[in-house]
Amino acid sequence: MSREPDITALPEPAEPRAENAPVPIWIFTVSFVALFWAMLYFDQRGAWFNPQVYAPYKSLSHLQSFQPPTGGPNLERGRSVYENVCALCHNTDGAGKPNQAPTFIGSEWVLGNPARLIRIPIHGLTGPITVKGESWNLNMAAMGAALSDEDLAAVLTYMRQSWGNKASPITEEQVKAVRAETGNRSQPWTADELKPFE
Amino acid sequence: MNRGPLIFLAAFLALSGSWYTYVVRPSMQLGRFQQTNMLGGSTLYPTARPGLAQQGLEVYRAQGCAYCHSQQVGQEGTRFQLLLTEAGTNTAEVATAVKKLAPQLAGTADPLASLPVAVYSGERRYDFEAASRTLNALGAKAVPQVVPYGADIARGWGKRRTIAEDFLFDSPTLPGSQRVGPDLASVGLRLPDPRWHLRHLYAPASEVKGSKMPPYRYLFETRRVARAPSPDALQLPREYAPPAGYEVVPTPDALALAAYLVSLRADAPLFSAPMTITSTAAPTADTNAPAGATATTPAPAINQ
Amino acid sequence: MNEPSPTRVDTLDSKSAPVPLGQSFWLLSTLIWSGAWLTLAFLFSLLASIKFHGPGFLADTPWLTYGRLRPAHIHCLGYGFCLQAGLALTAWIFGRLGNVSLAQPLLARIATGTFNLGVALGVLGILKGDATGYEFFEAPRYAALIMFAGYLLLGLVIAVAFHRRSEPGLYVSQWFLLAALFWFPWIFSSAALLLLIFPGRGMAQSVIAWWYAENFQSVWMWLVGIAGIFYFVPKLTNRPLHSRHLTLFTFWSLLLFASWGGIPASAPVPSWLPSLSAAATMLSGLVILTFLLNLHHTLAGNYRQLWGDATLRFMAVGTAAFVVVAVAKIISALSPVAAVVDFTWFRYALGQLNGFGFLSMVLLGGAYYATARLPGFSISRTLAGAHFWLAFLGIVFAFLPLLFGGIIQGLKLQDPQVPFLNVANLTLHFLRLSTVGELLLLAGNALFLVNLAGALLRRARQQFALFRQEATRDLFAAAEAQR
Repeated sequence: MSREPDITALPEPAEPRAENAPVPIWIFTVSFVALFWAMLYFDQRGAWFNPQVYAPYKSLSHLQSFQPPTGGPNLERGRSVYENVCALCHNTDGAGKPNQAPTFIGSEWVLGNPARLIRIPIHGLTGPITVKGESWNLNMAAMGAALSDEDLAAVLTYMRQSWGNKASPITEEQVKAVRAETGNRSQPWTADELKPFE
Repeated sequence: MNRGPLIFLAAFLALSGSWYTYVVRPSMQLGRFQQTNMLGGSTLYPTARPGLAQQGLEVYRAQGCAYCHSQQVGQEGTRFQLLLTEAGTNTAEVATAVKKLAPQLAGTADPLASLPVAVYSGERRYDFEAASRTLNALGAKAVPQVVPYGADIARGWGKRRTIAEDFLFDSPTLPGSQRVGPDLASVGLRLPDPRWHLRHLYAPASEVKGSKMPPYRYLFETRRVARAPSPDALQLPREYAPPAGYEVVPTPDALALAAYLVSLRADAPLFSAPMTITSTAAPTADTNAPAGATATTPAPAINQ
Repeated sequence: MNEPSPTRVDTLDSKSAPVPLGQSFWLLSTLIWSGAWLTLAFLFSLLASIKFHGPGFLADTPWLTYGRLRPAHIHCLGYGFCLQAGLALTAWIFGRLGNVSLAQPLLARIATGTFNLGVALGVLGILKGDATGYEFFEAPRYAALIMFAGYLLLGLVIAVAFHRRSEPGLYVSQWFLLAALFWFPWIFSSAALLLLIFPGRGMAQSVIAWWYAENFQSVWMWLVGIAGIFYFVPKLTNRPLHSRHLTLFTFWSLLLFASWGGIPASAPVPSWLPSLSAAATMLSGLVILTFLLNLHHTLAGNYRQLWGDATLRFMAVGTAAFVVVAVAKIISALSPVAAVVDFTWFRYALGQLNGFGFLSMVLLGGAYYATARLPGFSISRTLAGAHFWLAFLGIVFAFLPLLFGGIIQGLKLQDPQVPFLNVANLTLHFLRLSTVGELLLLAGNALFLVNLAGALLRRARQQFALFRQEATRDLFAAAEAQR
């Protein structure tokens, strides 16, 4: 290493300097074309700074056109809630399980008065009960107590309109009304207590 | 361009555009995002993560998990799907209508043989609504669905793309930039059991054969079994289990991290990310879902 | 057509006045610190890379987990080396072009010391688990602020030197370096304020973090790298830079367009951000286009000159890496391509090619040139040559396989039928090559540190011997007189 030539003794090249060649015109052409393309690109995909529009939607109206159709009961929602909350005991096809839970298919409790039906999941049901001529005497927990009003409405609607059942949908307002009326209650219902609501 | 101040001014002006667009504007726009309503109701989304999950976010950050895992599900498009579930009583007319609306079923003898059948699958809302009206008028029951699609979604990494609202209350946000491991934005949906995550963190190869993820044994404590085994002790297969008389117990950090992972769902249908909630089939085999996992779609999630 | 006539300059021109000793020592010690961080960076990177071949490697040490080694590596490379060596060379180039020296070398030394303290605290903080979570901005708050204070002080000293220059006309490199000197505090302070001190809500944080990372990597690093190439190539090939106007075009398009990129295509943010970002990245093609045009005409098509000189070789590799990075960025900004290569090793390799293959190689070439001409210090040219080859081969092995591997990884991930583990396993082949490359890079960069530190130590020993001789001269003289 000590035998390498001492660079500091060698003359150093001069500092660089720049000449003044003009910028070729085609660079400007390319730039303008590129700028134009960039503006088109943003116009197509940028949704003009709208905070609600995410790719792949191209604009607010494009996004709006993909909103799921509402109007009418949300059976899909009801079905999903049903399969998570009720199906364990009442079975996915609503037929119930022997010694576990009664059927919903053609059940007068499901197809009857909404006020009576809504109360059952909110507080639970206990004691003897007759469903489609069969007697049951079990305990149902308040499986719907934790559900929101719209989820409960959706699942009850689903039960009333599936598997051959044909009854009117249950609305969120009906559920709200029942909750308001029975707010203080903590005990499960018995069949007798539900008689007034037939 | 021979004066310092002139260059300074030029640079200042040129660069202030970028600063405004990517710092000021997003702070005012994204930085002021509020909770939004989930579709189909008035439930607000998202709610803040529960406390343990919040701590888990800090553990996720401190271990640098974002250097192998992303949390950004992409989406190539959205499709309308009309599912015919019940043909009603007017089966002949419904069959003709179905054959007309769904060219791919035109050749089959009885398109109503195995319901549900997808009658319309495409991106034109007009056609979709027309098909829906036709079938409803004939007394059939057709379920309308809005289904996001894309490579990440097909792989089971999410039901829809992730959007800013999914991370609204997170600080710091850890979207990641590499997929050395799978995307985790919806891992709480496909792997909802915190114990699975704990076992996976302790010995990744025990849950995912051939995994190259390093074991995070230091997030656990191997200790002598006291009078009774701890309820938190991990149930590990023999090759990874501690010697007899010892148990592996997660530290609070591990528990927090597992809670955080389980809280990652990003599946709520929102105005900005519309979709119909469907009880879909089990995730495809190429995700990290453990074999034999039952597919239950949880109730509409509130990213928690 | 302006075909420049090459002029020979044989004598030491008065403009190249020797660097005063105070500044010499500062320059060398700053570059030694940079070299230390560079070596440490690649040690971390090598350890991280080995983990892919044996996941249990060092897995029980929380300080050495992959998720902490990777940000520590990026921190040491980006801040410890690139930022610091960039500042050192800025001072040196300003000194050369403006015929001025740093008036306050003591302040400069304090600034460098503070800066290095910040970097060290940053590394320790990251390894300890205090990383912020924002890529490229991982140093915890306590370290980031100290590092920034050091930068500000040093920047001020350099700005004062620039102001006091005796050569009024500005060469193009000075525009780029001035802009870089000024842009870094702006991006860093915005990021520090809105990420560390008053964090925004939700994804606003990530947008700011991505903006900062892009402006650090594609604006600051490109400004300094281009400045270096435009300084050393004309100087050492003895040809004038082809066009000042074209360079002005490069400068403006870099500031206007490259600063608007950085948002990933599938980021969870409204679509205006990624689409603006993609459009801007495409427009930053103008930078590489005009840069190459300028260089091509400067060299009059004779690229062989770049391979002849030891310093120019570093510039050559740096330029090649710059071209690869710029072209790859532009192509991968397009949505369909981005969908394939995002989140793959392709992005990682591009980042490393940008930081090390491009900027660090330019800085290393410049560092060797500058230190070789410091009077009183002798840098070994053999070690420098060895470093070049190790670095060149290291870049080829460490990053190019990952570019290809990333593309294949991305293509496979698009197919939902391919299980994720299969994709992960096929990247291992490329990672093996990459680990070899990391080893070569560690070896090469360690040579840089050894070379410079050796020169300093040798000088120190010489000085000490001289001092001892002087100090004992009177003693011996007295002893002689006695006899």
